[in-house]
Amino acid sequence: VIPILIWLGAVFGLPLGCVILAKTRINAERLRIVAIAIAAVLTVVTLIPLFWPTLHAFHIDPPSVVPGRGALLRLDELSLVLPALAAGLWLFTLIATPTLVLGADGLRFTAQSTLFTLAAFLTERPLILALVWAGSVAALRGAFVTTRSRMQHAAGMYLGVSTVLFAAGAILYILPTPRGSALELTSLTLLVAGAMIRKGIFPAHAWIPAMFEHGRLGPSVLFSSPQVGTYAVAVLVVPRAPAELLRVIAILSLFTGVYAAAQAVVQRSARRACAYLFISQSALVMAGLDTASHETVTGALVLWLASSVSFAGLGRCLVVLEARHGELDLARHHGTQEKKPLLAAAFLVLGLSYSGFPGTLGFVGEELLLGGAVGAFPWLGFLVVASSALTGIAVLRMYFSLFTGRPIATPTSLKPSEAIGFVLITAVLVTTGLVPAPLVSSRQRAGAHLIEQREATRGSAVE
Amino acid sequence: MTAPARVVQIFILLALASPAVLVAMLVVGSIPRRPLSERAVARMTSGAVITTIASLAIALATYLVTGVEPQTWTARKWFATTSGALQIDLLADGWGLGFAFVAAVICGTVSVFSYRYLHRERGFVRYFILYACFVLGVQLMALAGSSEVLFAGWELLGLSSSLLIAFFHERRSPVTNAMRVFAIYRVSDAAMLVAAVLIHHLFGSGSLTVLFREGMLTTEIRSTPQLAAISFFFLLAAAGKSGLVPFTGWLPRAMEGPTPSSAVYYGALSVHAGCYLLWRAGPLIRTSLFAEILVIGAGVMTTLVAALAARVQTNVKAALSYATLTQVGVIVIEIALGFRTLAFVHLIGNACVRLVQFLTAPNVLLDLHGLEGAGAARGPQRPRLYALALQEAGLDVLLDALVVRPFLALVRLGTRLDVFLSGERPRVGPVGRETMP
Repeated sequence: VIPILIWLGAVFGLPLGCVILAKTRINAERLRIVAIAIAAVLTVVTLIPLFWPTLHAFHIDPPSVVPGRGALLRLDELSLVLPALAAGLWLFTLIATPTLVLGADGLRFTAQSTLFTLAAFLTERPLILALVWAGSVAALRGAFVTTRSRMQHAAGMYLGVSTVLFAAGAILYILPTPRGSALELTSLTLLVAGAMIRKGIFPAHAWIPAMFEHGRLGPSVLFSSPQVGTYAVAVLVVPRAPAELLRVIAILSLFTGVYAAAQAVVQRSARRACAYLFISQSALVMAGLDTASHETVTGALVLWLASSVSFAGLGRCLVVLEARHGELDLARHHGTQEKKPLLAAAFLVLGLSYSGFPGTLGFVGEELLLGGAVGAFPWLGFLVVASSALTGIAVLRMYFSLFTGRPIATPTSLKPSEAIGFVLITAVLVTTGLVPAPLVSSRQRAGAHLIEQREATRGSAVE
Repeated sequence: MTAPARVVQIFILLALASPAVLVAMLVVGSIPRRPLSERAVARMTSGAVITTIASLAIALATYLVTGVEPQTWTARKWFATTSGALQIDLLADGWGLGFAFVAAVICGTVSVFSYRYLHRERGFVRYFILYACFVLGVQLMALAGSSEVLFAGWELLGLSSSLLIAFFHERRSPVTNAMRVFAIYRVSDAAMLVAAVLIHHLFGSGSLTVLFREGMLTTEIRSTPQLAAISFFFLLAAAGKSGLVPFTGWLPRAMEGPTPSSAVYYGALSVHAGCYLLWRAGPLIRTSLFAEILVIGAGVMTTLVAALAARVQTNVKAALSYATLTQVGVIVIEIALGFRTLAFVHLIGNACVRLVQFLTAPNVLLDLHGLEGAGAARGPQRPRLYALALQEAGLDVLLDALVVRPFLALVRLGTRLDVFLSGERPRVGPVGRETMP
């Protein structure tokens, strides 16, 4: 128990410490260095369970603290790599974001957001998830205080509704209802509706491009990339939802995958294109989970990791470019390749991973997802291929617009810390893409566990 | 496994590892701010290409002299799934090794030409990184024994090709054309991916042995409708990559890249990649009359359109590319008719001849002072036919009218819907032509 408590203390204490530190009057540059050190330690700490069997699987389940089913805090095969994902994304954000756009407030938001994400990934209790959900939304709204009110209106309304729906679903979920009853179906539908809004599944997707376009890009990327909605669906909905509900969500998600990729192809604003790319991949992950077969769930879990990392990298590329060149209009050619070849290469690799290019983790996820999706939906499954093709076109179009053209006169190369961040994130995607077996087998076990849970729950419902 | 077979395997692996290592070295070498010197890049590239050529020569010689049986072997199990495993299978037979060897020699020739041609060019290292990706892609495609390996090679060819078309990216037109070519390549890649999925569902694995080797298809499998579907998607993939009808229009656009890359891509290897795929899938195509008719139709149409277009081109590279395409159409017809040996020899011969013609094209211009535009100066004898030939039989216009414009109109409708749903005011105007891929 002691190693587990120490580990949990470190996981929650480190980002919390950073939040507290950011509220003090510490010098901004020093705060950034301390935050990077904290994030690096946190990343190492979250990687420990992968190599130490004591922490590989644990449950802390005091029944009286918060009502509801599932463990209050736990680590199992599904969540084993997720804390490392959240911590790694935080570290990358701190390293790769230009100092100009990441002040003390921004740093505090990154730590808060990571804290909420970690809390979400380590719990199974619906009420805790709902609280964390609301907390992360509140933190995002806090980060947008200085931005336009129009965006706040749109994104705030959608996110508010998603939080209310999810919370209502969570409250109904913990009531002792018979399996397969109307109340259970209502609670699952509410949870799904909340998750669909947060993940931007058609027709509840329009707020995401608006948020990216008018809000602050950095916080939007960090808020979206870990895909907490996916986790909520995997833990709460997939094990219990009736097949018909999952089927409807899967079909909607497949359609969203293609629709958003097609939208990304024609956008003029780089931010909007990036947002649509996120929606597309996030929808494919949702489709995989809701198809609920071994292969698609494994594919979705792999694609979740791949798309989170790729999207964080792509979004951060835009942050870096915007900090130097202002608004990025895709109808122009910005000519930044000569000064930032490394950023151009990183953008290309991250984008190609998004479109399922061989040799990257995205390919592995998409291959698994495609095989399973075609098995489940013989015709609609091929929408994954269409989405991949359109994503590839959108990514290359963005690449050509952002990096090709007459070289710009201002010598604005990448800073060493930014360069290290992009090299690291690209290396992670390529290494796991070339040697995917350990990750795939871990996700397979997690997927198998989800399917087993589902079969057990559905079996008892039938009885 | 016999000792000669083991030797063949080892040298095939070496031939594949060599360009892969080159890609890694050039990429890692480009990360520091101080770029790699031209000499270092040239030495690394020469070393890798010579290793590939020598390895394939030894593998081919061992194969032919010792009489090793054609075989598919798993170089590496990539990862396991519940419905099988994705694995790196390589198909070692005389044809594949022969094609891989000729491709390696062609790549070696062009790399030597490229050192001088691109001397002091700003994107020297970038060119050779993409070139190394291309060499790897060609070798993977030539020796592929599973759909995963074939797809990886196929994608590498397409990506490196598009990025090299946009090599001179300071000008807008190469980039626009590269985007257009890439969009067509994505259609081709999507078709290849669909074919790969169908193969997995039909055979339970991605192995291509049954489809690519003569006499392996059982009567039971021959009667399945999926085989015709796989043939169709292979043809679609080949059509995109080789510029067969209806995708002929991208070929002149691809001439924006440096001459050595045009030579190796659109004269020698990339444009023949589709032919090689169809040649490999010959046993599969001949199981279905529908597929045979489609392939013959594509070949005939391509030959006619390319022969017509070649006669009205006003620059040497475009004229040569259409001349290449005319022969590609003929090769495709030969494959569909079952003349496999003839088609293979034709493919290799055409690739070599066109390579030489492309590489000498700049010299011809220099020597003759005015070859470019000579055809146009003569003026059209039959204006309507001339106009038709100039527009490549209107295939691009047709694709735009039937696919691109309806697609964009539909997507724009979606954009309006999204703006309405989000309650925001559009900050930019409607999507214009300049944003089209």
